[in-house]
Amino acid sequence: MSLRTTPFHPRTGPLSEGQAWRRWAGYVVASSYELSHEREYHAIRNSAALFDVSPLYKYLVTGKDAARLLNHVVTRNVATAKVGQVLYTPWCDNEGKQIDDGTISVLGEQTFRMTSADPTLRWLHLNSSGLDVQVQDVSESTAAVSLQGPSARAILQIAAERDLSALKYFRLTSATIRGIPVTISRTGYTGDLGFEVWVDAGQAVPLWDALIETGTAYGITPAGMLALDVARIEAGLLLIEVDYFSSRHALIEAQKSSPLELGLGWTVATDKERYNGQAALGQERRRGPAWQFTGLTVDWDSLEQLYADVGLPPRLPSQAWRTSVPIYDPGGRKQLGYATSGGWSPLLKRYMALAHLGSEHAPGTEVRMEVTVEHRRKQAKAHVTPLPFFNPERKRA
Amino acid sequence: MKQYDAIVIGGGHNGLVTAAYLARAGKSVLVLERRPRVGGAAVTEEIFPGFKFTMFSYVVSLLRPEIIRDLDLPRHGLHILPLESTVTPMENGDYFAAWGDHDETRRELYRHSPRDAEAYDEYGRLMHFMAQAVKPILGMVPPDPTSFAPSDLAGLLKLGKHFRGLGAERLHALVKLMTMSSADFLDEWFETDVLKATKSASGIIGTFLGPRSPGTAYVLLHHYMGELDGVFRAWGFAKGGTGAVSESIASAARSFGAEIRCDAGVAKVLVRNGRATGVVLENGDELLAKTVVSSLDPRRTFLQLLESDQLPSDFVSDIKRFKFRGSSGKVNIALDALPSFTCMPGIGRQHRGAFSISPSLEYVERAYDDAKYGEFSRRPYMDIVFPSMIDPGMAPPGKHVMSIFVQYAPYHLNGGWSDAKREAFGDAVVNTVESFAPGFKSHILHRQVITPLDIERITGLSEGNIFAGELALHQLFFLRPAPGWAKFATPVRGYYQAGSGTHPGGGIMGASGRLAAMRILKDGV
Amino acid sequence: MNYDAIVIGAGANGLATAHYLARAGKRVLVVEQHQTADPSADIGWVPDAVIRDLGLTGAGLRIETPDPWITAPLPAGGTLELSRDLGRSVEALRRISPADAAKWPEFCERMRTLASVLERLYLVPPPDIESTDVRELARIAGLGLYVRRRGKQIVIDLARILPMSIAELLDDWFESAVLKGLLGALGIWHLKQGPRSGGTAFNFLHHHAGSPAGVFRPPRSNVTQALVGMKGVEVRRGARASVLAKNGRATGVVLEKSGDAILAPLVVSSADPRSTLQPVAIELDPDFSRAVSNIRARGIVARGSLALGSTPYATLCIAPSLDYLERAYDDAKYGRDSASPYVEVQRTDGRVEVHVQYVPPGTHGDLAQRVAGILKIQPNQVQLQPAAESLYHGELTLDQILFMRPVPGWSRYRTPIEGLYLCGSGTHPGGGIPGAAGRNAAREIL
Repeated sequence: MSLRTTPFHPRTGPLSEGQAWRRWAGYVVASSYELSHEREYHAIRNSAALFDVSPLYKYLVTGKDAARLLNHVVTRNVATAKVGQVLYTPWCDNEGKQIDDGTISVLGEQTFRMTSADPTLRWLHLNSSGLDVQVQDVSESTAAVSLQGPSARAILQIAAERDLSALKYFRLTSATIRGIPVTISRTGYTGDLGFEVWVDAGQAVPLWDALIETGTAYGITPAGMLALDVARIEAGLLLIEVDYFSSRHALIEAQKSSPLELGLGWTVATDKERYNGQAALGQERRRGPAWQFTGLTVDWDSLEQLYADVGLPPRLPSQAWRTSVPIYDPGGRKQLGYATSGGWSPLLKRYMALAHLGSEHAPGTEVRMEVTVEHRRKQAKAHVTPLPFFNPERKRA
Repeated sequence: MKQYDAIVIGGGHNGLVTAAYLARAGKSVLVLERRPRVGGAAVTEEIFPGFKFTMFSYVVSLLRPEIIRDLDLPRHGLHILPLESTVTPMENGDYFAAWGDHDETRRELYRHSPRDAEAYDEYGRLMHFMAQAVKPILGMVPPDPTSFAPSDLAGLLKLGKHFRGLGAERLHALVKLMTMSSADFLDEWFETDVLKATKSASGIIGTFLGPRSPGTAYVLLHHYMGELDGVFRAWGFAKGGTGAVSESIASAARSFGAEIRCDAGVAKVLVRNGRATGVVLENGDELLAKTVVSSLDPRRTFLQLLESDQLPSDFVSDIKRFKFRGSSGKVNIALDALPSFTCMPGIGRQHRGAFSISPSLEYVERAYDDAKYGEFSRRPYMDIVFPSMIDPGMAPPGKHVMSIFVQYAPYHLNGGWSDAKREAFGDAVVNTVESFAPGFKSHILHRQVITPLDIERITGLSEGNIFAGELALHQLFFLRPAPGWAKFATPVRGYYQAGSGTHPGGGIMGASGRLAAMRILKDGV
Repeated sequence: MNYDAIVIGAGANGLATAHYLARAGKRVLVVEQHQTADPSADIGWVPDAVIRDLGLTGAGLRIETPDPWITAPLPAGGTLELSRDLGRSVEALRRISPADAAKWPEFCERMRTLASVLERLYLVPPPDIESTDVRELARIAGLGLYVRRRGKQIVIDLARILPMSIAELLDDWFESAVLKGLLGALGIWHLKQGPRSGGTAFNFLHHHAGSPAGVFRPPRSNVTQALVGMKGVEVRRGARASVLAKNGRATGVVLEKSGDAILAPLVVSSADPRSTLQPVAIELDPDFSRAVSNIRARGIVARGSLALGSTPYATLCIAPSLDYLERAYDDAKYGRDSASPYVEVQRTDGRVEVHVQYVPPGTHGDLAQRVAGILKIQPNQVQLQPAAESLYHGELTLDQILFMRPVPGWSRYRTPIEGLYLCGSGTHPGGGIPGAAGRNAAREIL
């Protein structure tokens, strides 16, 4: 096979009812297992969805200068992080434009695991000149699943045979599941109560089996990327290559974004020594970023009317879209920005979108979003909504 | 007697392009070709019954999309088929493969070096930009930096502006590409030797240089310039071989009213009062034209078709100094079965792409060393394709043709090329392939070995240099073929030059043919 | 003691920079790793401007002008000797090739003109072609005009000859193998390329800069000695220094052996760019670090001395033909030292020195024997030093000169670290021109 399969494929392969696969970092992963992704999505908000997230790139960074290297590369302050903490962070080039985003798990004083969407081995090497550090690519040797939803903790506690109520948001712990050593981090891509379980690739299948057996009674549901996409938009989480482009892949300046323009200003530390992009980000912060990354809620009545005008009921996309959609001012002529992800939230009963607009448009501002109705370009009313759309208490509880 | 608006000497692809554009503009054009068919070094011939050999050139690499569109070549039979992969057998039985799919290639690279897998994307991105930066130069008439003429100054300014607009990173990359060796340039990005060797090898094609010779990095761009055309896909294998490319251009030219005469070699250009008035054929016939264009290489254009007193003496010295040293050979083979390569046994999709015999930088460099001292490479670099796998019409069903492009075979061989030397060269090629694909020799039905001397004899390309003059920095752009004469005109009024010996140089581009036609139309014919 | 500036390296460039800064009123400390000064004379043209500015003649500067400037053995016996006097050289050449003798004066004149363009370029910072500054653009235009006014031929020659191989250039002019060999050697001087490689014609012209027409070997002088003798700066020897920097600013140096730190707001290093910037790599962005690590500075020459009382020749060149040099290079390509190396013996200042090429680092097991064999002396009379990194801190290839040197875009002696400058042969104009980089750097700083 020309594309690689993940360590879980012996289990996920047979589950696919419609052979709906897609590529992720050179692997095949399921778009959905069932013929429709709907039930898989609802499992995220209703019970527990199980995602195979093995295609993430993972790097083990160890050595005396491990923290120094990471601190030099990412925008967050790694030096002040504690063992057992997980940091979500972007990293930038020298001009303060975002290259990628991922997590750093502090496994030990001199041991870190970094994840990224794009391959990052070379970037880490280029930055480690003169440092006493080892970077190991463990992408293939480490498998990972994500268990997200209100029943996630309960299922994991049974599987790991221990109490996980002390595992706080964005913290990690080691555990064993049926004798399999794993790391469990309270992280995820759904903005809900959830955990990611990291395991040696050789033990992937037994781990899957353990989770399925434990969780079936609690409604555990293998879910694919389509379901995840809806949830992540509800959570206001950005996706590389969709909501922003890596500055190292951008063909023109306009394709680059800084973390400040992507709503990630909170990850840009002000209290640490020199890191890539620090000077540029400092200047941008003082000026104020030109762009913001924000949510949009489409006004239902306005949307319904557009369809009613041609005699149709409203057509809502059942899958989230990832194309670029222009956003206009209320006059409908001047383009204010563009939405990069969007779709219908079955939970919130709202048509939502993630968009890039000029910073001057405060929440509540009315805009227009382009909608194609029966081959014609129309515009529906929408208003600027702060992110996230969905932020349940249980996420941090 | 009829006086044509223009006579084009040489029915190679550039000459045909010139003729087509002139005819399209309403001019009466006559193309004179010495051989029985047009195409020059872009010809397909049935050397062995039933087997069509794309005799010299074998891939379409940089045929200009605007020419394809302007002349509507698809309507005249041009069909370019994808040539997606390159497999390089290694001496230890392993291989390095570059596939069409990005993820697949990344995985293959990763197998050799995880760092190189990532570097490849960055490298590709930079080369994409560089190709974008250089492309306009291919389509422009070189301004003369020694001249104070307004048009030249304007051209220089435009060029300067273009380069400054690139930004620091790309400008520096451009300087590096123009001056470094491909090996040194690639050393900055990659560690996998076989990868560097394969990429470098594309940099030494048609040159008298090795991968460690400065000036070879530039050709690394060519592949990416072809990619810029992306889905347009001007890069690949032409159905029917490169001869079909020539035929399609000829057909287009004829459709615009151009006349093409074969078996009509030109002996001299008629010059009266410093002005070209026509030509004399080898058989003595005279033909008249207001304009004469030579698409032959500069040595023939100036030193053969004209008398020396018709040209300024320093121009003649410059042309005499223009280097041609041919270094390439070709072996075309009719097979009754495809060879199975040790590194990737069996017959599969790898046979639909190219095989590159470039297992290491040292291998290619040693092949060059042989040539430096006047011998053909005992273990040569080879670029191998099986045209019949891409276009089944090239061979009888179940049988195959194999096209092997070889470096190095110096034109100036110690002791000269003889029939025996030609066979020895053919043996070196075949034995080298055999070492990577045992059993190959047993499938050979017929082999045709072409040395630089043969190239010269058959196509007229001086010293068998496939680019009609070496593509070295000091022979490029405003220096090609001579300082001050890089704009397709010549010291003789009414006499123009086209072909790979002019800007932008070699490869099946058609660019110079078009630029020459534009110049002629601008001057008014 | 508070210093305004610390200069790393007490070679010609380092000392030149130091004295320029001292004359501008700064308190300068020069830190040098070697305990004793290298007594071997400097090779290379010391620009007049440097001599004038620093009063080097008064400080005892002596420039050697040997005549004949080169001697090369002829295959049939006897030697070819070329003189500083063009007429005498023509006579000498006539005996081996009348055609070459006839071309000699014109060749020398052409090369001199081209070298003079380089000389002009070398005493100023390289043109910043990306600049939008009006003055810089005017300067570049002025340079272009200067070249164009010397004649159309010069522009063409520059464009044609600079990228050419020295072999091709010489083959165009001459027929004598010995003549082409001895001239070709200057084209590959300190370069890991053979005479057939592009860019060697540039290297040839670079090393001709500063010499009169018809002399194709760089002069020798005692410029470092003269600089050492001058007052105005403090020199500390036997201490290898590393740069200290914090938050993007240079703060001083630390002496590696003792660990002592000496603080100063300005640090200028005449050491090679790579070792200068390594200790502070964390302060640099990765693309710049990568560019620094990509600087090609491959050692390829073994230098040393011969234990001979004297020699009859000022410079003896063993490079009988271009092919000889090319084959010597071929060996180096594959990681070996040349089976038949290019050897040049120079008598200078009472010593006899030898230059052997090509000698990649880590090779030369029995090189001394081979050299002795070529020179027809005893192996124990040959004393060679291992060839580590290039003397020039960056080979003089076309992609590592002018605005590309030492790192593309950073050719004005600055570094991304404020207060840290470079002034050694790794910067413009490159090696073999002692003091020039030092002067340019100093002027950039002040």
